[in-house]
Amino acid sequence: MDNRFVPVGIRSTERPPSAKRRESLRGKPLGPLLFLGVVLLGCLCCELFLTKDPTYMDLAHCSVPPGREFLFGTDTMGRDIFSMIWYGGRISLFVGFTSALISAGIGILIGTVSGLAPRWLDTLLMRFTEIFLSVPSLLLILFLQAILGKATVLSLSVVIGLTSWTSIAKVVRMEVRQLRTSEYVAASRCMGGGLPHILRRHLMPNFFSSILFMLVMNVRNAVVAESTLSFLGIGLPLEVISWGSMLSLSEKALMTNAWWMILIPGVFLVGTLLCLTNLGNFLRKTISRRERNL
Amino acid sequence: MRRGAFFYYGRKALAFLLSLFLLSAAVFFVARLAPGDPLVSYYGERAEKISPEERVWAEEKLGLNDPLSVQYVRWLSGALRGEFGISFKYKTDVLEVIKGRIANTLLLGGTGFVLIFGLALLLGVLCAWQEDKWLDRLICKVGTVLSCIPEFWLSLALILVFSVWLRVLPSSGAFSAGSAGGFGDRAAHLILPLTVVVTGHLWYYAYMIRSRLLEEVRADYVLLARVKGLSRGKILFRHCLRSCIPSYLSIMAVSVPHVMGGTYLVETVFSYPGLGMLAYESARYQDYNLLMVLCLLSGAVVILCNLLAQILSERIDPRIRAEETGKTAGREEKALG
Repeated sequence: MDNRFVPVGIRSTERPPSAKRRESLRGKPLGPLLFLGVVLLGCLCCELFLTKDPTYMDLAHCSVPPGREFLFGTDTMGRDIFSMIWYGGRISLFVGFTSALISAGIGILIGTVSGLAPRWLDTLLMRFTEIFLSVPSLLLILFLQAILGKATVLSLSVVIGLTSWTSIAKVVRMEVRQLRTSEYVAASRCMGGGLPHILRRHLMPNFFSSILFMLVMNVRNAVVAESTLSFLGIGLPLEVISWGSMLSLSEKALMTNAWWMILIPGVFLVGTLLCLTNLGNFLRKTISRRERNL
Repeated sequence: MRRGAFFYYGRKALAFLLSLFLLSAAVFFVARLAPGDPLVSYYGERAEKISPEERVWAEEKLGLNDPLSVQYVRWLSGALRGEFGISFKYKTDVLEVIKGRIANTLLLGGTGFVLIFGLALLLGVLCAWQEDKWLDRLICKVGTVLSCIPEFWLSLALILVFSVWLRVLPSSGAFSAGSAGGFGDRAAHLILPLTVVVTGHLWYYAYMIRSRLLEEVRADYVLLARVKGLSRGKILFRHCLRSCIPSYLSIMAVSVPHVMGGTYLVETVFSYPGLGMLAYESARYQDYNLLMVLCLLSGAVVILCNLLAQILSERIDPRIRAEETGKTAGREEKALG
């Protein structure tokens, strides 16, 4: 006799695979990812589809409004804005990613050391971090930039990275404090695992998800910082094309009512920032939610 | 207890003085090591024309050949007497230059600060009240978009729309040339910078309030209050909001420097004659005497606000105070035992 328990009267809950796929895509930031992908791809492969040299100053065509020949118009120095957007985006995003990586490196290092260190060192490091956190980062960047002198793409990335590691360090420290008493860390230590080994194999995988969102936000903040500084004329010089240095011509554009020189780079800048924020918020929201009692 | 309070504030004051001292040292050494000729900041453009002999003599007279530590002590003693030197660009005493600008910054920053935190509280409570309804979602969406726009670009776009296209608002300055100080004129010049300062920071704090309240709303005591029959409004305002206020106050204190930084930036874009624009100009023209005082001033505000935040979060919240006294009581018991 067949002893198996056979449920009767229950509808099959198995859904077709297509519906499942749709389900798994819901709530994911598809639009932002698509936009970011297009911008990234466009910036990386801009040589393939650009016919104009972004640095060439066509003095016969200064401040031309958008049209057939110049898709997005030209700026006051006669450069083609359409090609500048893609070349400039390359620099802006490079600064964003590089400084985010630098800040993550410093943040993880300081956070881990502070989390594993004896109490006095921990207090000292955290005090230092708090002082760093409380100073408006723009002022700090200004200060560092003044010391370093004329900015290059790399020096600007380093300066921005040096000023934005604090929040990552705090979170990493908290996570490490919780993890360091766990058995597997103790076991690894007993077997002679050094700090780099424990950090890479045991600690990093645990706190990586919680700093991923901050990493994305740091990319965003770095792009903002770069464009703000270049706009003010303290960051990248005018010859190095980035979204910020394109906007630094806008004072002249305002006088001649050349809206395309302000709005078009701005739309790309704000769009990228918005997509990065959406992506970051999505990463953060993967933390589960509880029902409210009100 | 009173003795304890005295020691508490005494310790805080000492910490403040110590940080101020460290800050002044940092500012001094960085300014001296930064590129640029210190003679220029004393003599202006004439410094480039003076002969080598005069140069040696001038350096001797100003004490530039002494070790940096000696120079620092000299500068510090001058600073204590209120002598910060002469601004190279404005050719007058540094404090005079700052005195002329500080009121503008206080007006812009102060109004912005009040508006930011008033509106943030309002929006945060509204969002928590309407959680996941259409209004909350709308405010969240708009807020996220607005908080993404860099302040300088928002300023540019506003100038483009309101002063170039519509011609209704002035694009720069604190008042029109000629009519220095009519109330309406000043207010019209304040609208655009104020809008940028407020929108740049508003959503960050509104969102903070919202998420704090949403956390609070999920606490068990709210369930109890509901069971007891209290209305939603009463619970939200009398219980949830009340327990958020102490941390909100200390956040307000911490955020003063950030709002100040935002004000500085906006001032620069709108050429609004305040401390921010002054700092920007002095950094560009290597007017170190002025820049040092501005950094000291801003830094002092930062340190003061952080201390204030610490005191607020340690003293105002009765829960933390109770915990503290409980702890000390426990310690005494242990000592007795």
